Amino acid sequence: MGKIIVPFGSQHIALPEPISFLFETENEIITKVEAHIGYVHRGIEKAAITKFEYTQLPYLTARVCGLCSITHAGAVVHGIEKLMDIEVNKRIDYLRMLVVELDRIHSHLLANGHVAEVVGYENLFMQTFRAREDVMDVLEAITGNRVQYDYQTIGGVARDMDSEIAEFAKKKLKKLKDNVLKVMEFHDSDYTFGLKTKGIGVISKEMAAKYNTAGPVARASGLDTDVRAEFDYLPFEEVGYKMQLRSEGDVWARNMVRFDEILNSIEMCENILNNLPEGEYKVKVKGRPKGEVVVRVEAPRGECFYYLRGSGKKVMDRVRIRVPTYANIPILKELFLGAKYSDAQAIVLSFDPCMSCTAR
Amino acid sequence: MGFFSKFRKKSPWILHYNTGGCNGCDIEILSALAPRYDIERFGMLNRGNPKQADILLVTGPVTKNCKDVLRRLYLEMAEPKVVVAMGACAHGGGIFRNFYHVENGVNNIIPVDVWIPGCAPRVEALIDGMVEAIEIWQQKSKEKEYLRDHEKVIKTLGVEDDG
Repeated sequence: MGKIIVPFGSQHIALPEPISFLFETENEIITKVEAHIGYVHRGIEKAAITKFEYTQLPYLTARVCGLCSITHAGAVVHGIEKLMDIEVNKRIDYLRMLVVELDRIHSHLLANGHVAEVVGYENLFMQTFRAREDVMDVLEAITGNRVQYDYQTIGGVARDMDSEIAEFAKKKLKKLKDNVLKVMEFHDSDYTFGLKTKGIGVISKEMAAKYNTAGPVARASGLDTDVRAEFDYLPFEEVGYKMQLRSEGDVWARNMVRFDEILNSIEMCENILNNLPEGEYKVKVKGRPKGEVVVRVEAPRGECFYYLRGSGKKVMDRVRIRVPTYANIPILKELFLGAKYSDAQAIVLSFDPCMSCTAR
Repeated sequence: MGFFSKFRKKSPWILHYNTGGCNGCDIEILSALAPRYDIERFGMLNRGNPKQADILLVTGPVTKNCKDVLRRLYLEMAEPKVVVAMGACAHGGGIFRNFYHVENGVNNIIPVDVWIPGCAPRVEALIDGMVEAIEIWQQKSKEKEYLRDHEKVIKTLGVEDDG
C-alpha cells in the first residue's frame, strides 16, 4: 500500500473552529502529521497596546475566547488591580469565583459532549447538552448573557446578585448534579464506549511532565498541576477546592477528570451560594497602572498566563498572553504518530482544543 | 416550481464555518442542535460538506488566513444558496475592526443575505435568522436569479487566481 495524505480541516464537521492537520497515512496508521494552527490569528496582543485603554482591556481579552472569556477577563482585571493596589472585598471575590466555576462547568460539559459525538454516540452528546442548559440558565440569571459575560470589571463585578437568583441557582445546580451523575455513570460502565476511548491516545506521567502539558490533560495522566492550588488569586481552598487526578492518561480518563472537576465545581458553587459574604459589589478605583506583573489563572483547559506592563499611561506597554491549548499542541502531534486515523478525531477533541485562544 | 423545490424547504442543510471569531457563536450553534432548542424541527442538520449544503452559516470577522477558505466554500456550494452572517464581528469586524490581520466582516468577501446581530446572539435570534434564511432560499429557488447573476458573482469573487 502506498501513502495516502488525508486533510483534516480547516473546515470539518467535527471541529467548531478552524485548525488544519495533514495526515500522512499508511494502511490507516498515521505516519506523519503537519498542523497549521494560525487560522484564527487576529492580532489581539498588538491591538491591546495600541487601540484600547486599560479600562477597556477586560472587554477585549474576553473576546480572545468565547468558552473561557471569564478567565481571560479575570486575569487582566486581577493584574491591573495588582498594579493599581486595589483591594477588593470578600463578596467580590466570591462572586467572581462563582462565575469562574460555572464557566468551567459549561466548558467541560461541552468538551465531554463533543468527544461523545465524534466516537459515535450522538444520543450521549444530546444528553450532555441537555444537562448543560441548566448551567447556562444560571449564568444568564447572574450575568445577563449566555456566552460573553463581561462580568468582571476593574474594582468589582458588573452587577450584584440577590437572594432570589441564589435560590434559583441552587435549584438548578441540584438538578444539574443529578444529570451529570447519570451521564458520568454511562461513561463509566458502557462497554462499547470504552472500546472507542479506553487505551486510545495514552499519555504517561513522564511524557506529560516532559512535554509540559497543562490542565485536565496533565491531571488525567496523574501529574498534579493546577493553578488554583499554586497561585494565589482567588480563595478557592476556602470553598472546598480539591485537585482531581486520574492515572490512565487516555481519552476516557481525560473525560472522567473533567466530570470529576464538574462535580467538584458544583460543590464549590453550592458552598459559595450558601456562605455569600455581605458587602458592596464595587470598590472605588483611583490612579493608573504602573509597573509590571505576571498573572496565572486556571482556565477550563489549564494554565493561562498573562504578563502586563504599564507606565502610568492610559494604554498599556505590553500585554502577553500564553494559553493552555498552546502548551498542549506538541504532545498532540506526538500522539498522532502510530494511531489509527479513525481515532484522530477523538484524540483531538479529548484535548478540548481552543484555537481562538491559541492563535489569538 | 420544480418537483424537488417542493420538498427542498423541509430539509435545508447547514454548513458552518468559523472565520476567526471567539468561539462564542459556535457554541451557541451547538446549543441550537441540542434538545432544548432543537433546530432539527425545521429539517436543519449540520453537515460538513459544502457540496450538499444549502445554508452557509458564517461566524467571525474573517481573518486573512480564512479568507480564501471562505471564498472556496461559497463557490463549492450548489445553487440556490443562502449566506447567514452571525455575531457582531461578522458585521464589519465588531471589536476586531481594523486589526492588522482582519478583513472587516463577511460581506467584504462574499454576498450576505441574513444578518444575526449580537455578541453573542441568543439561540432564539439564531433560529429566527435561520427561518428567515429558508424564506429567502425558497424565493431564490423560484426566481432562479442566480442564473442571471452568475457571471457577475464569479467575476467579483475572482475564481481565476484560486489555484
